[in-house]
Amino acid sequence: MANSDQAAMPTPSAPLSRQDGRSPWKRRYRKYVVPWMFALPILLINIIVVIGPSLSAVYYSLTDWSGIGAGEFIGLENYRKILFSDMDYRRAFLNNLAWLAFFLTVPFAVSLFAASMLARIRRGSMFFRTALFIPYVLPAVITASIWRNLLSPTLGIGALLADWGISGLDVAWLGRPQTALISIAFVDNWHFWGFLMVLFLSAMQGIPPELYEAARIDGASRWQEFRHITVPGIRPTIVFMLLMVAIWSFLVFDYVWILTQGGPAGSSEVLGTLVYKQAFMRFEAGYASAIGLTMSLLAGMVISLFLYLRRRGWEI
Amino acid sequence: MKRLFRQRRDISLLPNYILLIILILFALGPVVVVGFNSVKDAASIGRNPLGPPTEFKWQNFPQAWEIGNFSTTTRNSLILVVGTVTSVLALGGMAAYALARLKLPGGGLLMLYLLVGSSLPVQLFLVPLFFLWRHLGLVNNLFGLIIIYVAVHSPFAIFLLRSYLVGIPPDFEDAARVDGANEWQVFTVIILPLSWPAFLTVGLVVGLGVWNEFLLATVFLTEQHLFTVVTSYYNFTSRFSRDWSLTSAAAVMMIAPILILFLTLQRRFIAGLTQGGLKG
Amino acid sequence: MRNATGKSLFLLVILSLVLAACAPAAAPALAGEAGAAEPIKLTHWIGVGTGGSEQAECTIANVVEPYNEMTEGVTVETVLQPNVWEAMRTAVAGGGGPDIVTTPGPSFVFEMAKSGQLLPLSDYAEQLGWADTFAPWALSLGLVEGELYSVPHELETLILYYNKTVFEENGWTPPATFDEMVALSQQIADAGIIPFAHTNGEWRAANEWFIGEFLNHVSGPDNVYLALTGQKPWTDPEFVEAIDLLTDMQLNGWFMGGLDRYYTGTDDERRVMLGDGVAAMTIEGTWALDNMSNYFGEAAGNNNEWDVIAVPSVTGEDIYDLGIGSTYSINAASPNPDAAAEFLTYYFSPESQATLLVECGVAPAPVTLTEEQLTGLDPRFAKAFAGLTQASDEGNYGYTTWTFWPPKSDVYIYEEIEKVWAGQITSEQYLQGLQDLFQEELEAGDIPPIPEREVSS
Repeated sequence: MANSDQAAMPTPSAPLSRQDGRSPWKRRYRKYVVPWMFALPILLINIIVVIGPSLSAVYYSLTDWSGIGAGEFIGLENYRKILFSDMDYRRAFLNNLAWLAFFLTVPFAVSLFAASMLARIRRGSMFFRTALFIPYVLPAVITASIWRNLLSPTLGIGALLADWGISGLDVAWLGRPQTALISIAFVDNWHFWGFLMVLFLSAMQGIPPELYEAARIDGASRWQEFRHITVPGIRPTIVFMLLMVAIWSFLVFDYVWILTQGGPAGSSEVLGTLVYKQAFMRFEAGYASAIGLTMSLLAGMVISLFLYLRRRGWEI
Repeated sequence: MKRLFRQRRDISLLPNYILLIILILFALGPVVVVGFNSVKDAASIGRNPLGPPTEFKWQNFPQAWEIGNFSTTTRNSLILVVGTVTSVLALGGMAAYALARLKLPGGGLLMLYLLVGSSLPVQLFLVPLFFLWRHLGLVNNLFGLIIIYVAVHSPFAIFLLRSYLVGIPPDFEDAARVDGANEWQVFTVIILPLSWPAFLTVGLVVGLGVWNEFLLATVFLTEQHLFTVVTSYYNFTSRFSRDWSLTSAAAVMMIAPILILFLTLQRRFIAGLTQGGLKG
Repeated sequence: MRNATGKSLFLLVILSLVLAACAPAAAPALAGEAGAAEPIKLTHWIGVGTGGSEQAECTIANVVEPYNEMTEGVTVETVLQPNVWEAMRTAVAGGGGPDIVTTPGPSFVFEMAKSGQLLPLSDYAEQLGWADTFAPWALSLGLVEGELYSVPHELETLILYYNKTVFEENGWTPPATFDEMVALSQQIADAGIIPFAHTNGEWRAANEWFIGEFLNHVSGPDNVYLALTGQKPWTDPEFVEAIDLLTDMQLNGWFMGGLDRYYTGTDDERRVMLGDGVAAMTIEGTWALDNMSNYFGEAAGNNNEWDVIAVPSVTGEDIYDLGIGSTYSINAASPNPDAAAEFLTYYFSPESQATLLVECGVAPAPVTLTEEQLTGLDPRFAKAFAGLTQASDEGNYGYTTWTFWPPKSDVYIYEEIEKVWAGQITSEQYLQGLQDLFQEELEAGDIPPIPEREVSS
């Protein structure tokens, strides 16, 4: 932003470039036109596909619309309902926050742990890396149906353990309101963390090995190495993934939909499933648009926080 | 001396190996179950969904291949993956380069825009997008779907590539610029070779996303000869009757190509990381 | 000079994108905007949802292909769609889609018809004699504001499946009345067997199967009719009784052995349990008939047999709750509506429908089928469809929730019942909520037309 302010007026450095034998136009061309020529193609595609069509959703969020035909303009009524009277929305929102808390901690802890283990070893590192990434390759429907069976009280792991005398785990994890949401999060994380790990591992390869050697000479423990060299070394990647995971957490849909459709008794309802039900099952597409936009708004708040921190001088 | 040192080093790494093996059992166990189920019959899955098969029904595979019309759908999916991945890497890579290296004026705004764009649920813009695409003649057109995929997948790709590019020391580029290279040459001759492991990672992630995508593929491609592998897979899952043995066989066939691709790329991926000059 | 190359490359990229976006725009999206002399192509999407791809392929081979051979100049192009409703909805809303529009039931037709996306069919119905083909109650479900927009396909009902071998071994007889069914359930549970293999793990709306059965078989279809036509509130005691009874049975663990098991059991799991005799009965739709034999007999690893009866009612009378699994309409944007109507006439003829049932196990449309046409059919199928057809003809039928209730009420019925089972609300509160929502939809006119019924009082 600071850049563009400077650019708007002639800067003291202009005469300098003339000394280089370049015209101010050429300088400006290099400074503005060339970078934007690199960025423009993808921006245009994104505008045509995503933002353009989404603008109509902003209008529809102000209507009572069945999803087919014309909608009736009702102003901010949908938003009033979301804020003040829709208990389903409130519960879904809280579930999304719980989901967010889970995904900002558990997968990061597991994948950082595994990546730092993996970064040390040479023999078989490729095998480990590949094997741990494989769950990410599976599509959601397949992952979900495997885990539906694995978490079953009669056919799954719990039943197997009960046969071996370890009881207490043969409960219907997805069928109890207390455990449904956390079980879905567990399944989604099983699929997801290997991906995070590979990203972190790649970033770790960029840390100069001399730093570790120096630390070892100083007698640093493994934890100290991790804390003072590894984490700062890959911080941009960590922070960036925290941001992306936060955005994705508000969009979560497929695992919840396949495993419980929000049940039992609404205990695993999230905003994504609520939008789907309103739009495709109850024919309240206007209201669904409003819920969908609040999802983006929530994600937007997280993004703003990120940008704020960036401005405060965090190298992200 | 050298041998002794190596042994000691290996012993000190023993806990690492043990913990990693535990994690691997956790990650791969369920995948093995799919493999088992792909050779069982439907009734024995209901009774014994986890264990190894007692009888092998290998005919599940040719049957699933045929019912799912995998020969056509695999081809279509490959076209979509290759088209999307190359476009995302080319166009997204350019944008990432502009953001990381060219001090793009208004770059912060562009990033904000892309982030907000990627926070919109697809259902929100599905119908208007379909309307637009129909009028552009891009429905039932693999190229039309590629454009959509490029738009949907590029924000993440741009951010990831940017974060790698930021880390590359600027010395090489500056040297090239002094030699009179323009930005396009710097990008293609200097930056791409240096950062191709990052491009590979992004390509893999985007490729997987496209390969497994369902909603957009089924809405925008509604002619049989254009169906994708996920469609084939869905031919086995249905509302009231499911045949999980065939479904698992279809699942194995759906995963296999991407797995093989990944295993092949994995070698290069690691080689690239150690050679690419990223280490220092 | 190198600089210029770079620039032109950019221009080329942008230009090619713009061109690519514009060039094919001239191509028509709906196939066959052709003159009368040219061959007509009709597009028809078949969902692989219900019954899987085998039924769909069987339909094409036995009904669609013979039609294409029989007719000159008209080809019906079928496409198996894995996500047919979402694809259909989006495509039709975007002005495209196939010539023949299918939906998952009459209530889905409503909004599409009101916004002009479907072709009015009343003239075709008269011209082509559809009124003689279809059962009157069923055809009237396709009316929207007095005009016909869809015809019903896949007539379905719920029946009681039981493990005949387990019944014989234990000396149990199939229940004749609802009370007998409840008493028998207790007996079965005491014997250590699960009374009903009923789950919703893969299909949450399976909740509504039993809700609908209990409303019709405990409260009686007459009362349901009165409530559906707004002459009686859903909060009346006979409905409360039905929901209370259902909740008691659910909390007894009679469905799958416990609420949490009920919520997680898969379709395969529950059918295997019924087949193996771990469970004794289930109430499920006629759509399961085709698949049930896979879970019984030697091939399935047990030597058990199965049979079906009508779901018992309080009065002991056989009541079949009628449902429509899908509907057929013509796209308003279709360039060949006449040909499409001709095809529908052929498709819904008793001959075609009998072929579908006998050859493919596809539930037929509510059309009258003769016994001759049904030779070779599994006797259990025949029994179920005979009862169903009779009920449909005589008008003494019950109402399935997904066919006769408006969409929001329907979703409410199967979603909110879980709160009753969780103890969060009472049956009265549940029905009060249904009444409020139903009233709203009734006043807005969003309810499918309920065929007249003579209510004996």
